[in-house]
Formats: sequence, structure tokens, C-alpha cells
Amino acid sequence: MMSFDQNAFLIIITASMIAISCGLLGVFMMLRKMSMTGDAISHAVLPGIVIGYLVSGTQRGLEVIIGAGILGILATLMIDWLRKKARVQLDASIGITFTLLFAIGIILISVFAYRVDLDQECVLYGEIAYLPIDLWINSSGQSFGPRIMWLAILNLLLVGGFITLFYKELKITSFDEKFGIVIGIPASAINLGLMSMVSYTTVSSFEAVGAILVVALLVVPPATAYLWTRDLRPLIQLTILTGVMVSVIGYYLAFLFDSSIAGMMVTVAGIIFFLSVIFTHKKFKFTLGTQKETQPFSS
Amino acid sequence: MIKQVENPILEIHDLTVSYDQSPVLWNVDLSLPAGKLIGILGPNGAGKSTLIKSVMGLVEPSSGYVKLFDQTLDEVRSRISYVPQRESVDWNFPASVLDVVLMGTYGKLGLFRRPGKKEKTLALDCLEKVGMTAFVHRQISELSGGQQQRVFIARALAQEADLYLMDEPFAGVDMNTEAAIFQLLQEMSAAGKTVVVVHHDIYSAVNYFDWFIMLNLHLVASGPKNEVVTEELLRKTYGGKLNLLSKVSELIRQKEFNPLKG
Repeated sequence: MMSFDQNAFLIIITASMIAISCGLLGVFMMLRKMSMTGDAISHAVLPGIVIGYLVSGTQRGLEVIIGAGILGILATLMIDWLRKKARVQLDASIGITFTLLFAIGIILISVFAYRVDLDQECVLYGEIAYLPIDLWINSSGQSFGPRIMWLAILNLLLVGGFITLFYKELKITSFDEKFGIVIGIPASAINLGLMSMVSYTTVSSFEAVGAILVVALLVVPPATAYLWTRDLRPLIQLTILTGVMVSVIGYYLAFLFDSSIAGMMVTVAGIIFFLSVIFTHKKFKFTLGTQKETQPFSS
Repeated sequence: MIKQVENPILEIHDLTVSYDQSPVLWNVDLSLPAGKLIGILGPNGAGKSTLIKSVMGLVEPSSGYVKLFDQTLDEVRSRISYVPQRESVDWNFPASVLDVVLMGTYGKLGLFRRPGKKEKTLALDCLEKVGMTAFVHRQISELSGGQQQRVFIARALAQEADLYLMDEPFAGVDMNTEAAIFQLLQEMSAAGKTVVVVHHDIYSAVNYFDWFIMLNLHLVASGPKNEVVTEELLRKTYGGKLNLLSKVSELIRQKEFNPLKG
């Protein structure tokens, strides 16, 4: 029953890549105390997806990604504007923004239902199990394997590239934005870049894991890793590890219980998080009372 | 008593800053000489931090302008260093002491380039100057308030600037740290650097600085210590607390005054 066939391999690889992309961005969202902005973005992209669909006539068009990207940035700007100019609390401005944009998306879907072959369930929950049969076939009939896997590869490359190239800038603007601005780091451009990446990742992954479950992959693995380490590099590495674990365990549990893979992945993420809380808490108790060693000066 | 200087390192011209229509700084017009240790004094809410932030371009003025080295901020960013208030960041951020000090070198590195050996040597050097050598690899969440402040100052040193603006570097630090930081600031100013410090303790300030800016929404005074630290100007700056102030100015008159010896 616990088979490891080609389909399992494709699904696990794809899910892992999505989890890693989300986790990488999620680390910096968490450090900026913006995890819930990621939540807002993942919902707010819905009208962008619908409009993109109406323009291009297909779920797979570039227009869908562009539309979602624009809506994601719009949501970020709206949250920022509500907070700074209208003096609304951050959590309230997030709540207002994403519910409003999400509702507009729902209305668009129902109004244009006769033209939009876009299923709300699919957008919200996704279905990665269909991945092996949804192939990327070019005009001459050649098949290159699952389409969503290629999307996930592209997504991971872009997110990985973004984080690697702007690692230093992301780090300083997450820790001390004002100092970053003072020394001439383009802080608002970096911020917008990060938000665009989150929007793009949400759209790129919504067919596989759905717009709601993407949030869990953005938030839970970084939060889990943060329980274990207080250093940025290990934090990122642990986040990646957690993402892969979530994908592997989630897939096989879903297989075992014959349930939704994405749903099981998120459940596993939650369980790993709570186990980490218990274990790190114990670890804390064990080290209590023993003097912490001072690092001697090296190099 | 506002003394303007020739060839100022920092010139603030008719600066007014308001938040939500209510002004927090009124028409501040001053110029500062190079190579001095300068204290900004004033009661809570006098606009001390706002003044520094508007020099650093973090606050948009409603009118007026700031010139540094006779140029605009963007032209001379690399020559200016800034120490924000310690509470302005979350010290639970996953970084080591060395990581934070290295951030001081980011400005000169520019986009894409990572700090290398040269930057690391510089950062270790700066940590030695603030006496934090033993804490290089310590997580910043495990530092005391005074140690956090030293890390911020080391980060500013790593910028290798000519003008340093520090927002309350003595807030919440112990006597030892305060004395050590002050000694460092003196060495910097002796080496020709200009150091501007927001400070709230008038007792220690009269000993520390050789030039004073006194603020209370508007500029009360700006000038060398012996000309501006007078009972009248302090009274104008701080308003009500007369008893305290007369005591201070009396102490100032006695040349041997040292608050550390109490």
C-alpha cells in the first residue's frame, strides 16, 4: 500500500518545491511581523485571477499571474495606506482589505460563471492529486510531464534567486528598516519585491494546494523553525527541511486515509509545529540552571 | 542664543516638522561646527528625536531644508552614521552580534555584494572599540540593554562615517557602559569626527558635551557650552522644574562638578 511509484514521486517533489518557496518567503514575512499580510495577499489575489481569466480565457495564461500579482501588491498598498493614513490598526486593516477583495473575487466568479470555468473549490483548496494527469503538452504533441511541476520549478527558481540576490537587503530591512533607509537601501522596493513574490507564489501554487492552504505553508514552517534556532541561516535551512517533511509525511498520510493531500500536508505541518513547541519547551527546561558558555573571541 | 558657524558640517535651515497638522518642531535654524561632541537637550516631547530623524531623511519636513557637508543627504549618505533608539528594533531577531555590526558595512557594499573578509575585520575592530569582543557570536536576544547599545554603536562605527547622529545612546544603560561609551565618543571627536547625541540627563550632559542644542519645540539655544549652559536658557528649555534647574546651574558654576562622583 505504501507504494513509491512515479506519481507519488512527482506529487511529493512538486509539493516540496511549493512548500520550500512558501517557506523561504514566509521566513522574511515572519521576521517582518507580516505573516498575516501573506494571508491577506493569498485571498486578495482572487479577483486578479478571475480578471486574468476573463482576459485570457484560460486558467493558465500569463494574464492570470499578472492580474494576481497586481492585486497582491494592491492589497499590500491598501493595508499600508489604511494603517498609516487612515490610522486603522494593522490587524483591522488586514481584515478589511482581504475580505473586501476576496468578496469581489467571489462576486466576479458568480456573475461571470457562464464564462468562467473557475471552480471556487479549486481556487480555495486546490487538488494536487490530479497533477500526474495534467500534462504540459506542446503543439507538436510532445509531453514534458506535469504542468504544475514545471510551474513549481519556475517558482522555486525565482523565489530562490530573489532571496539569494537580496539576502543582505532583506535581512537589514527586516531587522531595522529605518537604518536600512538611512544607509541607502531601497527599502520600499525590497518590500514591494517581497510582496510581489508572495502574490506570484500564491497564484502559482493555488491549483496545487489552494489559496487558503498556501497560507499555512507561508506561516507554519518558519514558525516551527523559529522555535529551534535563533540564527537566520539555520532558520532558513530548518524551514526548508520542515517543508519537505510536511510534503512527504502529508502525502503518505493522505494516501493512507484516502483524503486531500493538501489538507493532510497542512495538518502535518500543524502537528510538527505543536511537537516542536513541546520538545523545545523541554529543551529549555533541561538547560535551565546550567550556565551558558560565553563564546570566546575567535579569528 | 543661537550661534551660527562658518563652514558648518550640518546646516538646518528654517525647519518645521508636523505630524497630523500639529507641529513638533518650529522653525529650527542652526549650524554646527565640525569635530565637536554635540548634545541635544530638551524635555520629553521637545522634538529631539524628530530633529535627528529629519536630518536623516526619515521624517518629511513641512518646510525648510537640511544640508550636510554643504550637500544634500543623498550625495553624502556614506559619510553619515546613525544610531537609532535601542527600542526601535525587535532584539529577538535571529542574528548574532557580528551580523548586526556587519550591517553597518552594507551601505558601502551596495546591492548584491556580500560582506567579505575585509568587512568582517572591520566589524571585529569596531566591536573591540566598544568592548564587546567576547560577545562576537552571541545571539542578540541574549544581550543586556547596555550591550545592545554597544552593538548599535559598533554598527555605526562600521559605517566609517564623518558625522554621527545618535538617538539616546545612554538610555537605560548602566554607569559603566555610559562612561565607556562617552570615552569612545570623546576619542572619536578628538579624531576629527563630529558626534551629535540626543541626551535627556542635563546633569551628565554638562560634563559630556562641548556644544549644545537646546530644544523645546522651537530652538532655544545652539552654541558652545560656556555660552549656552546658563540658568536662563535651561529654564527656557525645561520650563517649570525651577528648583532642579537652579541646582544644576549652581553646580555648573562650580568648576569641579562631576556627577559620577556625586
